[in-house]
Amino acid sequence: MGSPFSLSRLWGQTFGQVFGQKASTGPATPVSVNNEACRGLDQSLPLEDCVFTVFDTELTGLNPAKDEIVSIGAVRIRNLQIIQGERFHVLVKPEMPLPKFSTLIHRITPERIGQAPALAQVLPDFLAFLNGTLLVGHYVELDMSFLSAACKRLYGQAPANPCLDTMLLAMSWQRRLQSAYCDQFDQSISYTLGSLSKRLGLPAFPSHDAMHDAMQTAYLFIYLTQKLRAMGIRTLRELHRPARSQSYGL
Amino acid sequence: MTEQNAPVDRDLVREFLQATLPFSELDATALDRLVRQCVIDFQPAGVRLFRRDITEVDALSVIQKGGVKLFAQDESGRISLADYRGEGACLGAMALFKNAKAGLDAETVEDTFFVKIPRDAFFEAVAANPAIPRYFLKSLSETFTTKAFAEIRQRSSEAPDESNLYLFSLQVGSLVERAPAMVPFGLTIQNAAREMLRQSVGSLLIQGSSGAACGIITDTDIRKAVALGIDMQAPAETIMTAPLETIAETAVCFDALIAMMGKNIHHLAITSGEKIIGVITSHDIMVLQGRSPFAVFREVSTRSTIEGLYPMRAKTCRVARTLVEEGARAGNITRILSIINDLVLQRLLELLLKELGPPPVKFCWLVMGSEGRREQTFATDQDNALVYADCSVDYLERAAEVYFEAFTARAVEHLARCGFPRCPGDMMASNPRWRKSLSAWKQTFDHWISSPEPSEVMHSTIFFDFRAGPGEKSLADELRSHITGRCAENDIFLRHMAQDAMQARPPLSFFKNIVVEKNGEHKNTLDIKARGLLPFMDFARVMALRSGIRQTSTLERLAMLKAGEHLPGDLAQEAMEAFEFLQQLRLVHQMDLLDRNLEPNNRIDPARLTALEKRTLRDAFGVATALQSHLKEAFSLQMG
Repeated sequence: MGSPFSLSRLWGQTFGQVFGQKASTGPATPVSVNNEACRGLDQSLPLEDCVFTVFDTELTGLNPAKDEIVSIGAVRIRNLQIIQGERFHVLVKPEMPLPKFSTLIHRITPERIGQAPALAQVLPDFLAFLNGTLLVGHYVELDMSFLSAACKRLYGQAPANPCLDTMLLAMSWQRRLQSAYCDQFDQSISYTLGSLSKRLGLPAFPSHDAMHDAMQTAYLFIYLTQKLRAMGIRTLRELHRPARSQSYGL
Repeated sequence: MTEQNAPVDRDLVREFLQATLPFSELDATALDRLVRQCVIDFQPAGVRLFRRDITEVDALSVIQKGGVKLFAQDESGRISLADYRGEGACLGAMALFKNAKAGLDAETVEDTFFVKIPRDAFFEAVAANPAIPRYFLKSLSETFTTKAFAEIRQRSSEAPDESNLYLFSLQVGSLVERAPAMVPFGLTIQNAAREMLRQSVGSLLIQGSSGAACGIITDTDIRKAVALGIDMQAPAETIMTAPLETIAETAVCFDALIAMMGKNIHHLAITSGEKIIGVITSHDIMVLQGRSPFAVFREVSTRSTIEGLYPMRAKTCRVARTLVEEGARAGNITRILSIINDLVLQRLLELLLKELGPPPVKFCWLVMGSEGRREQTFATDQDNALVYADCSVDYLERAAEVYFEAFTARAVEHLARCGFPRCPGDMMASNPRWRKSLSAWKQTFDHWISSPEPSEVMHSTIFFDFRAGPGEKSLADELRSHITGRCAENDIFLRHMAQDAMQARPPLSFFKNIVVEKNGEHKNTLDIKARGLLPFMDFARVMALRSGIRQTSTLERLAMLKAGEHLPGDLAQEAMEAFEFLQQLRLVHQMDLLDRNLEPNNRIDPARLTALEKRTLRDAFGVATALQSHLKEAFSLQMG
């Protein structure tokens, strides 16, 4: 109960949203097809039987109301293994001109996305790739807010995939480790993807590329899930508690 | 359906496999196919991956990060460690090839990420490139050893080659070491030849009636004369080459070489103004270049002062470099080095005997350790001893003591100046303990053999590698026969020696790519002698003594052990290859240090090795472990 990360106040709402929803009566959209695939989700499933999609986006800025997606990278995890052959990576041409400061972060230049398709063209492919899988991201709420905004705008409906946040997972794992040794929770630790990966000794990917960040997050995710499994966490429900995204949890 | 519109990606898994043997052998298309089929797995430290004869292996696991130990557990639950596998190493290849269950137990010792290649994808790669099965199926295969040798060679030849510069900068006058040997017109061929022998020269100038040299006769001319059946009493000028070719002392060596090549001659008289100051040969220039071992050989044997021998060491190094560049194997290189060093020693003692007068009794200089094994590299201390004939009367014994004390003290000092540093353990002939009569030496060895204390064994190992240096060889031979007989009949001593040979544990493998010293000034380096070569030397020594083999060099001992079927042929062959490879790495390392004007040592930085060298090195350590197991079995040793 104690931690602010372990409980989502949106639990009931989101859950109800996914499972209480009436089957859509309108024409099928890429989102509704994906959401339909989410319905069968069984929370008591052992982790190794779950299918996850780890994803990351690069953005023009941080405001979902105004900014846009410029790149999506995603990779599949089955049997808690990263599947090299199941990856998704696109560059997207935003409607707004690419702000210079964002280029400085993700190194995507206006020139590079000049030939890229618009989000409306690639979103169906991405939703088909998601296909009702569990989503994983590092600080996933940010990526999810952009994805939801885009889906609502294009299809009037947000994706219902439950999300897991590797940042929350890492915090929870760290807390478990530390409570075994001392009571103090070390607030000074950085939980950015880069510093976490470095601290845990993961193979390092160059950051701020959607595909590399997705791969890095995937490495982090299998690391953390295996570590937590060794502590007795076997099912999605048990894993979900610490890692549930606050807004997009189960 | 995935990755449409995909930007061009750097795929880190692809990059990882591309830098990892044997997948680095795949072409781009095959590698891409392979990478697409990989999955990445993570297992925390302490997870059992394989259970022997139980686990089905459905993929080859390449360690991307972390480490795994392989071990075998017997019925009683006792665990024997077989190997550590670090980054870039593979797991499960044997099981896949044999289509069998896991052959060993495996457990992660660190948090480990694997790139797993599913069975089908693996065999697809195997079919695409024969280098892949070869890598897995041939341990320490000839192909890879050869390739690793080639890599070493390539690295060594990047070093600057200054020897060619001499050709263009050094004046021929500086090559002249002595006034020319000159004889007057009218001397018979036979007398001319005698004169050449007396002065130990290869050419003779013939003085004309004007007093100036009018021609030259050389060894070649004498040879021709004999072949043609010319009367030896005929005047020498009938066979001389005239006119005499000359070159000014200020000309550079390159000009001299061009002049010789243009006229197809090997001798040139050097002039200073009108006067002939000496004769140089094409050999002199080759020696200068340091290109020919034979040239150095010849130069050593013609030195007439001990001081003249001091600079020979530097030339010896240049010879070794040439040999490495030409692709000679370590065994040949160390043999050549030993021959040259033997010759330096021979010449040095000859000159010293001339200086001190003849010894009161016959003696033989003994070379031991690496010199005794003919395995000298560039960082070689002196390890020597002296044996002299038993003296019938005590005044002779005293005279011998006085004489050899002076003799060895000087010899050791001169050797040090020739570039063979003194032995830190004082195992040198100048130490009275290592300077004895033949019967005293026999007693010493008998003592070592019959009452082997651990310290005695440690002490004595290098003595068992002795061979005859200059002097009365029969003394050394007799001592060797004595020891060979004693050792073969004394099992307890050999067991102690075998036990001692087990002390030098070879690193099991490269764990996290390196097995290195963790502390001190040699941090992150690997002592290739202590950790790599020593187990081979110790093994060959004790097995040779046991089998009555008289040879002292490790390679020869191994070859004899193989020939006598004292050792499985495969193991002997692998041991020879591995030993030679380690020796080669060591030589090149030392040569590299010499190039940088640093003291040669045995500390290799594994980070500077290529993947192939690392892999071969790892295999070599594996062979060393196999040798120790053989030793353990042969002597039924119980090891902790």
